[in-house]
Amino acid sequence: MLGKDQILSILNEAVQSSPADQTELVFDGEEFSLTHVAESQIQQNLFHDDSVIVVRLVIGKKIGIASTNKLDVKSIRAAIDEAAKIASFQEDDPIFESLTKSPTAQEVKAFYDDTAGYSPTDRANAIWQINKIAARQNLKTAGAYRTVTNTVAVMNSLGTEQFFRGTQAELSLTVSGEAGRAGYAIACSRDVNQINPGAVAERAVDKAVRDVNRMSLPSGEYTVLLEPPAVGNLLLFLGFMGFGSGPFVQHRSFMAGKIGLEVAGRNFTVRDNAYHSAMQGMPFDYEGVPRQTVALVTDGIAEGVVSNSYDTRMMGTGAESTGHAHIATKSFTPYPKHMVMEGGNASVADMIKSVKRGIYITHFWYMNYMNPVKTMVTATTRDGTFLIEDGEVKGAIKNMRMQQSILEAFSNIVMLSRERELYPQFSVKMLVPYALISKFHLNEEVA
Amino acid sequence: MPVENLASIAVEEAVKLGSSYAEFRFEEIRTENLEVSDGKPGLLSSNLSAGFGVRVLADYAWGFAASNTVSEESVVRAARQAVEIARTSARINEFRVKLAAASTAVDKYATPYEIDPFSVSMTEKIEYLKLLDSLMSKQDQVNSTNSFMNFRRVSKYFLSSEGSKIEQELLQSGAGASCGVTRSRHDRSERSFPSSSGQYKTKGYELIAELNFEDNLGRIAEQAVALSSAKDSPSGTYDIVLSADQTSLQIHESIGHALELDRVFGSERNFSGTSFALPEHLDKLQYGSSIINVTADSTIEGGLATWGYDDEGVKAQPRDLISNGMLVGYLSNRETAARIGRSSTGAGMADGWWNPPIVRITNVCLKPGDASFDDLISGIDDGIYMETVDSWSIDDNRENFQLGCEIGWEIKGGKLGAMVKRPAYSSNTLDFWRSCDGIGNESLWDIWGTPNCGKGQPSQNGRTAQGASPCRFRNIKVGS
Repeated sequence: MLGKDQILSILNEAVQSSPADQTELVFDGEEFSLTHVAESQIQQNLFHDDSVIVVRLVIGKKIGIASTNKLDVKSIRAAIDEAAKIASFQEDDPIFESLTKSPTAQEVKAFYDDTAGYSPTDRANAIWQINKIAARQNLKTAGAYRTVTNTVAVMNSLGTEQFFRGTQAELSLTVSGEAGRAGYAIACSRDVNQINPGAVAERAVDKAVRDVNRMSLPSGEYTVLLEPPAVGNLLLFLGFMGFGSGPFVQHRSFMAGKIGLEVAGRNFTVRDNAYHSAMQGMPFDYEGVPRQTVALVTDGIAEGVVSNSYDTRMMGTGAESTGHAHIATKSFTPYPKHMVMEGGNASVADMIKSVKRGIYITHFWYMNYMNPVKTMVTATTRDGTFLIEDGEVKGAIKNMRMQQSILEAFSNIVMLSRERELYPQFSVKMLVPYALISKFHLNEEVA
Repeated sequence: MPVENLASIAVEEAVKLGSSYAEFRFEEIRTENLEVSDGKPGLLSSNLSAGFGVRVLADYAWGFAASNTVSEESVVRAARQAVEIARTSARINEFRVKLAAASTAVDKYATPYEIDPFSVSMTEKIEYLKLLDSLMSKQDQVNSTNSFMNFRRVSKYFLSSEGSKIEQELLQSGAGASCGVTRSRHDRSERSFPSSSGQYKTKGYELIAELNFEDNLGRIAEQAVALSSAKDSPSGTYDIVLSADQTSLQIHESIGHALELDRVFGSERNFSGTSFALPEHLDKLQYGSSIINVTADSTIEGGLATWGYDDEGVKAQPRDLISNGMLVGYLSNRETAARIGRSSTGAGMADGWWNPPIVRITNVCLKPGDASFDDLISGIDDGIYMETVDSWSIDDNRENFQLGCEIGWEIKGGKLGAMVKRPAYSSNTLDFWRSCDGIGNESLWDIWGTPNCGKGQPSQNGRTAQGASPCRFRNIKVGS
């Protein structure tokens, strides 16, 4: 793996050699290890490393983008030439003004030697422990244990210079047995020592053991107790649909025209905070702009969206980028990647006790949009769905299909747990509580 | 040092260290992405990714290591790493990986094309996308437009310890356009062409003209406007006809994925799920009605999953998955095929040099029937015709699904009637395919590329295709 000085030297040389009016270079590197288990056997076990340099050139008001993962001088020069050629085909963009000149972002401790050095043997030992716990209940394991080291550096001709190196460990596990019984658990941390494979296994096994003799419930409105992964599934889609500047400026977001107005219940508060101790996120974006902590919804009131520098110019006077630009080769609009949802005062046990009749949901599967502006989504429950009756988690129930407006769900929060868990999905991390929600729409399924 | 020499060094090192099987795969992937949004060029980028992967079988377990640093030192290091990883896996595993036999090949293959898209100037491409934009913008009420082109050239070199030595060049092109009408924050309608994700094929720039945007985008824009005042789709049980692109997604979700043999054996249990179509159902399960015939065939010209050989060096071949409605085969790689005593169907593909191959949907095709479009519609007294993918979700056992479309039309007395917005339908895989009683003929058939199929841990972005024509299904639940 190249060191900070080597990387910045490569970028600096390239910036200096560029013929463009303005030049931005991003180094995006990854060392990735993963052990994939199914049927209690290691099915895939791998390592790869890759480093990409993305060039964004500005000639007048024309922009060209090219990337290469060949890091020699000749190949980087070729990428610069390619970006210049692309810019020459572009039209002037009246909205674009300039690359950004940003101060150095604050340092975030996100790199852990033990995570970076976690070996295939370490992962195999963890899998051995997990398998042993599952086998006691005649359950098979399926899961993935991955450790990653990411390195990102941004430099531009206006003097912006940023560098970040962070590690990430993530263990997800599904245990399953006869008649389809199943349980799921997940843990992630920058520091692999914070992941307890035995605890993850025990949690998944506990669900699978209780997931027997599934009964059917009819379609209807239910009170549901969502585990943090299920809350995270909803929050993730809410973030995609409305917490980014793209749909906001295009008036496609549920946040558009709603700033300062109520969009959810008073007990729903979420912000994007890369600096939270559970996140230890990259403190700048792919334009080199330091990330801001952004209040998205506070006490149910819409507060703001995350943005990049381009969308900010479309938003008008006074707006400044919140530091959420994606890498230039992607056309994705910004979305929050470090969502922290406020918890409540309840214990999970108290939440269960408060339910006369409801459904306990571990997580959702295959969520997809039905109507983004109404935040309507559909998905099925999965790997641990139970009936709660008279304050106790009773028998297992068959998976059900949800059809629900997410904002409506977050307007009907009855109780939130003190306890919160870090839940990763795609490139987003969320710190989320358990949530007890009323009037949640579930349809009968037969699986 | 030439890649061929590096490949030999890596494979020899892996074998020397005790691997019973080793393969080396080098890939250079060049992509070009162009987009015009709301009349002005958006993302324009050109990207290059090159690297290699070494996969080994040692002590009956897999190990894989890959890098973008292509040098003698790097390939030797990767070969040693892969063997070490495999041996670590073997300490845990009771199951011994065995590979189905496959013929070795020394060959070169390239997907055919007429016009190299990388030789066409960006100016020409951008001007064409702006033209598409203007065709949609002629409708005053259209207030958002987008059109795009993507091109991808993958050059591969594969060497295995069994003696296969294969060079391939796969050229893939894609394009699409969409427009939207927003009347209020809660009222937005959108139309896309040729489908909501465009159309992708292993073709050159000639695909752009073949898609015939110019004769269709005016109609699409008119529909977007009309949709904004169309009535809601009804709810209830109806006979339905699905357009070819919608049938393609239906095949992808409820046949393609369900018949991936690694999934059937539980490899996706922790991510994209399992399948109801278990090996004991082979040759016994009536998957669909007797008119349903489905093949997996990576030899079809133009399919996005068309290639000479998969990433295990298995030659592309047509294989039956469903014959006369009966389940008769799976999509498999060498490892999973061995578990059911069959040969690989050549479906082992990786999304790039950085990942090992896994079982993927290839060109999975529903054979055309004999019905004209009018035949399909005229056979329905009270139903709905639905077009263009809008929303999709299926459970983790590939049984219960809910899919939605951008647009629909009522069918009354065998004729198309009023337009309806965003019709959705739900069913169970077996019930659904068994209810199919009409399949469009060859003139209505096309192969639809899916460039973004997620599967696997690590997550891999597969490029698949489904051959389909419009189909008719009876007594389907419509509405949510």
